[in-house]
Amino acid sequence: MKRNVVEWAVLAVSVLAIVLVVGALVVEGLNETRPANPHVELHADQARQGTLGWIVPATVSNDGDQAVEAVILEAEATVNGEPETSELEVPFLPADSSVDLAFSFSAQPSDEVQVRLVGFRIP
Amino acid sequence: MNEAMTQSLRDYTRAAAGGLVIGMPLLYTMELWFHGFLLPWWKLLFLFAVAFLLVLGYNAVAGFRKERTFVELFLDSIATVGIGIVISFVALVVLGQIEVDTSLRDAAGKIALEAIPVSFGASVASAELGGEEGPARRQTPHAFARLLVGGGGALLFALNIAPTEEVVMLGVGASPLQLLAVVAATLFATLVLVHYADFGGRRRKTRRNPSILDAPIPETITGYALSLLVALILLWSFGWLDGASISAILAMAIYLGAVAAVGAAVARLLVSGGHEAGAK
Repeated sequence: MKRNVVEWAVLAVSVLAIVLVVGALVVEGLNETRPANPHVELHADQARQGTLGWIVPATVSNDGDQAVEAVILEAEATVNGEPETSELEVPFLPADSSVDLAFSFSAQPSDEVQVRLVGFRIP
Repeated sequence: MNEAMTQSLRDYTRAAAGGLVIGMPLLYTMELWFHGFLLPWWKLLFLFAVAFLLVLGYNAVAGFRKERTFVELFLDSIATVGIGIVISFVALVVLGQIEVDTSLRDAAGKIALEAIPVSFGASVASAELGGEEGPARRQTPHAFARLLVGGGGALLFALNIAPTEEVVMLGVGASPLQLLAVVAATLFATLVLVHYADFGGRRRKTRRNPSILDAPIPETITGYALSLLVALILLWSFGWLDGASISAILAMAIYLGAVAAVGAAVARLLVSGGHEAGAK
């Protein structure tokens, strides 16, 4: 059966789409060498007073090549002379991706906020 | 634009619409988005390849161009999957699951998974909803061809359940008696569905030389065996078999197999209809 212009056009786009998807998976997949590496960048300059406490925005990134699940982060700081912690869980963190989040304390801490990676699940 | 081109445009529009209809539930399923980046790349490719083969098989059995060579069939299947990819991509962008800062690997993984149901939908819409050239003229295909189509239906149905945690929950809490009941119910339901429910207008003549696999009970059993295989492939693909005991694997396969078997039954029905022997 002879194909017309419309059919050739759809076929060309289809071949391109399949090559892109398969190619991206293969090329990215074969270059997956770095293990998962969740890390946090605090945005202290954007910290602000909220209604319920002192809010410290942060970005958690994964510059590894493996996605991780259930990333638990714990921030610690001294508030009114007492140590205080703020804990967050990020459900999913894909490879080469980042998630914006915010820690919160009951009041502005008197020292620098320290963040610790409690753990994560490897899918 | 001549008539043939207008007709082609209509065919592709119908395929795209069908893909959207069938793919919609899974385009809105977050577990599928997440598995797009959680699953290893080779498992995604494997699932994508299996889906392509099933689309190819379905197009061969039920596709819209009746007389064509294998090359034409292959190219048509490429177009079907291509439509699936393009629709999945657009839908994922609109839904905010692919954004400018989404990594290439993440986007490709999501598209590869979502394109599976959308391609199946496109394939079915091309073959079954094509007006006069629809299935009415078709003869019941060979038993193996029907099984292949059944595999597509099994994959499509079970894909709705496989990425979610329900199967594990059901599998963990199952007693042997319950599992036997599920197996019996699945076999009974699919036997009735394909051979006795007599869905309107679907009854066609039995093939001239029916094989043993055309008889209702052997047909149901082979369909079920295939469904269990599809269920196992999906359970493995989505990582549910990692670290699971044999009894847990069996339980999960039986529960997911029930979903797969219903999908396989509907698909077989779509291309064959009830048998004369069973439908009387």
